[in-house]
Amino acid sequence: MSIIRERSRMVDVALRFLPSLAVFVVGLVAWEVWVNVRDVPAYLYPSASEVGSELLDEGPSLAADDLRWTMIEAILGFLLGSFAAVLAAIVFVHAKFIERVLFPWAIVLQTVPIVAVAPLLTIWFGFTLRPKVIIAALICFFPVLVNTTKGFRSISSQAIELMRILSATKWSIFWRLRVPSSLPYVFAGLKVASTLSVIGAIVAEFTGADRGIGFVIIQASYRLDTRLMFAGIALSSAAGVVFFNIIGALERLALRWPDARLEQ
Amino acid sequence: MTTSSGIAIDGVGMQFGGRQGVTALEGIDLNISAGEFVALVGPSGCGKSTLLRIVSGLLEPTSGCVDVGGKTPDEARRDIDFGFVFQQPALFPWLRVLGNVLLPDRVLGRRSPNRGPGSEHVARELLRDVGLEGFEDHYPGQVSGGMRQRVALARALSYDPKILLMDEPFGALDEFTRDRLNLQLLDVCKKAGSTVLFVTHSIQEAIFLADRVVMLSPRPGHVTRIAEVPFPRPRNLEVRYEPEFAALAGELRGLLVVEDEVELARKQL
Repeated sequence: MSIIRERSRMVDVALRFLPSLAVFVVGLVAWEVWVNVRDVPAYLYPSASEVGSELLDEGPSLAADDLRWTMIEAILGFLLGSFAAVLAAIVFVHAKFIERVLFPWAIVLQTVPIVAVAPLLTIWFGFTLRPKVIIAALICFFPVLVNTTKGFRSISSQAIELMRILSATKWSIFWRLRVPSSLPYVFAGLKVASTLSVIGAIVAEFTGADRGIGFVIIQASYRLDTRLMFAGIALSSAAGVVFFNIIGALERLALRWPDARLEQ
Repeated sequence: MTTSSGIAIDGVGMQFGGRQGVTALEGIDLNISAGEFVALVGPSGCGKSTLLRIVSGLLEPTSGCVDVGGKTPDEARRDIDFGFVFQQPALFPWLRVLGNVLLPDRVLGRRSPNRGPGSEHVARELLRDVGLEGFEDHYPGQVSGGMRQRVALARALSYDPKILLMDEPFGALDEFTRDRLNLQLLDVCKKAGSTVLFVTHSIQEAIFLADRVVMLSPRPGHVTRIAEVPFPRPRNLEVRYEPEFAALAGELRGLLVVEDEVELARKQL
């Protein structure tokens, strides 16, 4: 009985992902055909199969070394940026004045082109881990801040009144009401941040690094090695997807009540 | 069972938004004795919800004062004398039904009247009283609107408040659910013995439930009539078909109509 149920669950999952997988395969085939029919020079635009074989050859070592390094940067930045954002949201919710003073600067921070800040940080900190983590953190900060603040505010006035009738302390209102009701919003922000953090780490690597997937891509571009560039792009995007889905799995674990998860 | 408290409302007025603002309530005088069930009835905008919030210390009146068993509303609120059932159930969706009823106990901590494992026993018993046995482990999102409002009622009673304040708790429900909940409410309130102040815009519901019905009129909110309800308890739903019930309901509805005509005439001047 349970085996049958298990199998039908797997079938369900397969059916759910089948359409997106089909789109992927159709895309690959179209790419392959186009490159061959138009006879595009391989150094400009490698075919899907060439990229595939490059991935088979170089993929494992890239993943074990450069991609791992990039993901360490991305995850550290993600943790740092999200943590700072949640802290800032807590302060904002409890001190309206501080929010009025600082929130405009959070927007300014968000509009500063990260690509322009990255070389500066590299000048200051060298080819180290630090500038990459900072860039990844900066890029994660804003979406988590905005969502968490919104989450803390997403409380009905009657729920607050209930807590006041119970003469609850600010601490109790925070833990029993604000935190749980903000969680769906926090996770929505974290999911956006998870994909951005990988991009942040790669952008930072472009401006000065001696390892990492961004380093590999930029080096390959100097040599017009488009096959390696495509392989790097595919790997980093796959890593981003995996990271996103890990956060999604954590979200499902944390938000168990019905209708808790916000639609993306 | 905790002893209930009376409420003395003395010349209470409420003005929102400064001097040029809206006067929500004006010169409200009302004495409610301990254990009494009083219904506040009036059209929307007559300040009945505001009055509940003043009595419970959630709002400070701009004039007059309220005495709750010898305390100010704020003191009574700090002593957890009030149970409040809101228009919306205001349940916490991440807590199961039982968890929601236990919420006051968790928030109150050492101030809770039923400590330790006793609180869960009380919560389960209350859920049984409101007909929710077997739904303890459901999430609020998995039960109907009427059930949610019953959870809210059980939650409000879980810590034996001296005074139960209800703000149109059944306004959003259909007639049948409402009837059933009214019966359950009478039952549970009798058991708890607390003073009840019940806001509704249904004259029928008010007469059926209350010992006294207080009619309010808007702009600004003021008391137009306080009517004694002559029916003995326990009451059943059939009481609503007695001629005396219809007569009282008609008389009270007439008050609202007269007020409307006065209002209309004032506008035409």
